[in-house]
Amino acid sequence: MLRFLALLLVVLASPALAQSVVQTDNVRAELLSDVAAAKPGEPFWVGLRQTMRPKWHTYWKNPGESGLPTEIAWTLPPGVTAGPIVWPVPHVFDIGGVINYGFKDDILLLVRITPPADLTGPLKLAADAHWLVCEDVCIPEEGKFELTLPLAATATPSDPKTRALFETARRNVAMESPWPARYGVSKSGDPTLVVEAKGLKPDTISNVYFFPAEWGDVAAMAKQTASVTAEGIRIPLKKGEAKTPLPAALAGTLVLTEKTADGSVQQAFDLSAKLDPAFVPQATSLAAAGSEQLTFVQALLFALLGGLILNLMPCVFPVLAMKAAALARLAGRERSEMRRDGLAYTAGVLVSFAAMAAVVVAIRASVGEVTWGFQFQSPVFSLLIAYLFFVVGLNLSGAFEFGNRLAGVGKGLAARGGVTGSFFTGVLAVVVATPCTAPFMAAALGFALSQPAPATVAVLLAMGLGLALPYLALSMTPALQRLMPRPGPWMDRLRQFLAFPMYASAVWMIWVLTQQTGSDGVLYALGGMILIAFAIWLLRLGAGSSPATWMRRGLAAIAVVLAFAATFKLEDGPATAASAAGSPTSGVNFEGWERFTRERMTAAHAAGKPVFVDFTAAWCITCLVNERVALETPATRRAFEQAGVVKLKGDWTNRDAEITSVLKELNRAGVPLYLFWAPGADQPKILPQVLTETMILSELSSIQPTKR
Amino acid sequence: MSNFNVPRRSLMLGGAALALAPAAAFASTSPDVGKPAPLFTAVDSSGKSWSLADLKGKVVVLETTNHDCPYVRKHYNSTNMQTHQREAAAKGVVWLTTASNAAGEQGAVTPAQANDLTQNRNAAPAAVLIDPQSKIARAYGATVTPHMYIIDAKGTLVYKGGIDSIPSSNVADIPKAKQYVRVALDEVLAGKPVTEPSTQAYGCTMKYPRTST
Repeated sequence: MLRFLALLLVVLASPALAQSVVQTDNVRAELLSDVAAAKPGEPFWVGLRQTMRPKWHTYWKNPGESGLPTEIAWTLPPGVTAGPIVWPVPHVFDIGGVINYGFKDDILLLVRITPPADLTGPLKLAADAHWLVCEDVCIPEEGKFELTLPLAATATPSDPKTRALFETARRNVAMESPWPARYGVSKSGDPTLVVEAKGLKPDTISNVYFFPAEWGDVAAMAKQTASVTAEGIRIPLKKGEAKTPLPAALAGTLVLTEKTADGSVQQAFDLSAKLDPAFVPQATSLAAAGSEQLTFVQALLFALLGGLILNLMPCVFPVLAMKAAALARLAGRERSEMRRDGLAYTAGVLVSFAAMAAVVVAIRASVGEVTWGFQFQSPVFSLLIAYLFFVVGLNLSGAFEFGNRLAGVGKGLAARGGVTGSFFTGVLAVVVATPCTAPFMAAALGFALSQPAPATVAVLLAMGLGLALPYLALSMTPALQRLMPRPGPWMDRLRQFLAFPMYASAVWMIWVLTQQTGSDGVLYALGGMILIAFAIWLLRLGAGSSPATWMRRGLAAIAVVLAFAATFKLEDGPATAASAAGSPTSGVNFEGWERFTRERMTAAHAAGKPVFVDFTAAWCITCLVNERVALETPATRRAFEQAGVVKLKGDWTNRDAEITSVLKELNRAGVPLYLFWAPGADQPKILPQVLTETMILSELSSIQPTKR
Repeated sequence: MSNFNVPRRSLMLGGAALALAPAAAFASTSPDVGKPAPLFTAVDSSGKSWSLADLKGKVVVLETTNHDCPYVRKHYNSTNMQTHQREAAAKGVVWLTTASNAAGEQGAVTPAQANDLTQNRNAAPAAVLIDPQSKIARAYGATVTPHMYIIDAKGTLVYKGGIDSIPSSNVADIPKAKQYVRVALDEVLAGKPVTEPSTQAYGCTMKYPRTST
């Protein structure tokens, strides 16, 4: 009798609890339901919870290079359907070099159950689950689960603890990618994934990883070297083991970490990248093809080679031409003089590279991790380099000679004869080589940056040596010098010809600029160039100290200042570009929201209304995710409306001064920031930077318990 | 020649990008089917030395093993693996079982243990290679036990992957599964290209020497 009563109690308290838990050697597994009672016709969630022994793990839908995903076979009453497992975001495990995708500690595998509208009687869910659990060794395990739910006219939620588990689990599921994605295949057959997430801030995003949804198309990799630019995210991948052609759409989960004002937030997106036949990425790397660990010596050799290749870059041509001309002029002089010249040039190059290495090491020491390429995200940098190319081109064309007045630094250093001049020609070579090779930078430095400081310095110096090597060899070897043509009019013609690669480089930099700022960039850049050309023309009209000359100088100065003033316009650029692009995923969406002003906020609050303020930015992924999962769901919208909340949105994409001042007052460094003013409250409540629907709903219900 | 006044924003340097990308992960060293199979030399459980180079002219099957792995046990307890081995031997195929889990890990065996296992399980490989440093497994990029490879008479790797198509530890699944290795072996012996040359291997994760990564 007592036993019967106990049983009855158990049945009443929590139906079928006794059968819903399976304890194996390594996993405690439990079938849970998000509802205590189900409503016929209304889908609800159940979940298989796996609590693993420490260090043991189970697998994702694509287990990686070994392992098997958990499988659940359902036995359900007629008409009841179970969806596929909705997987949590996986982790990468490196088991002695074998890469696995899976889970550790405690997870909940969600499954959506849909009971038919005409269902009668209790709903009995029976599941037969199989999973492989591994630490060093692998054990296949299984469990049979049963869960019986009563039916009710309205679904009743489960106990708070279980609901919390489901809430956490749902948050740990990847959301649909807000950005389109595509992929291309290199000649070697390796795919490269491009996620068109425009306007992101590269230096806030790290730990980017793409988990392919299926085995075979893409290899499970220990580490992916994704690059994040204002254009989007680019992830070179490696073809998988399957011999079948790559699919029309490559599905998977993109995981990344965004640094926000309050710390780091991991985000995950499900995406399906369409095969773009027009996109043929350059072979990702020799290293991937050779698949050998680069030794330090190899790295040095490759760096040297890379430096040599730099000599072929169009922007370096003019510098080399200068050197060649100088060499020709020196011909017949003392050999020692020529050698000194070559050494000075080499020293100039090496010192520049050493300075660069020092910067890299210093940044790494202070920041911890260097996200390379950030300078190239700066439109100001692109514009200045475009100007530089243009001016150098004009100079080569013979439009002017740099004089002391224009440069303002006395006689230009690189023109100085002798050793100093050669030294600075070396510096110049590095400076002009740099922007030309921007696309190569990130990858090249990827290696250097992953090394300890002495290796970083050595690799960079080897690269510098490579750059200087041809001229150094020339200046050291009389046999080679004899091959040089004699000085003559050809030198001038060559110089004039070399202006054209410079102009081409300037055009290229302007194109880069438009990628960063949109078409406005062209206007500023070309306008700036006209101003610079105008200034040069003015200055060439005459020297001396007549009032007219001074007037012209003044005008020239104004023109130059205006040209450089364009950089201030550009600072706001990327966001403008993002909103101008017009796509719903770029830029901040104000639908249903008022634009934030401090005045409006204060007034609405003073009028006794609840006010919700959302500070966001186009480049803030966490903001976007919060909007999707918490702020713009039908339930939240309805609740906002019912509560009569004044919804204000502040767009900080452009570093709005008013918003910045609010952030400062609240001691915030950036977005996302969410404020909720309850009616009559003295101060706003600051909500966490990762929002959930429940959080917003409970916030809203706290102010108007009677209305709901 | 004239001189330039240049902004000193030379933070970047030029790029041996091609050369300097980070090295690929280890497991990607798995050789491609259609390419020469990696050569190896190893000593078997009776002390005899085997070299793949010496086996030219014969079709060779490689089977990574770990006798304590439930997936290996599935195929031995059901005598599926032994049947495969006998069929292969009857067709003149050299079947090499390789105990490649690192010394001290699950599945690592001494020659005597390997012989006992062969006897107790009534197995019929041409040899059981003792590979405590996982050299063979590493050369072939094996990730699980059993991971199966077929090398044709010219020394070309023509198949790599699972033994069959149903990744489970359940013996009852064997008759239902597509027999990848048997089908591929028949195709190779008939001089035909292998229809499915690379499949998903399943089993227990290979245990490589811990110092190796």
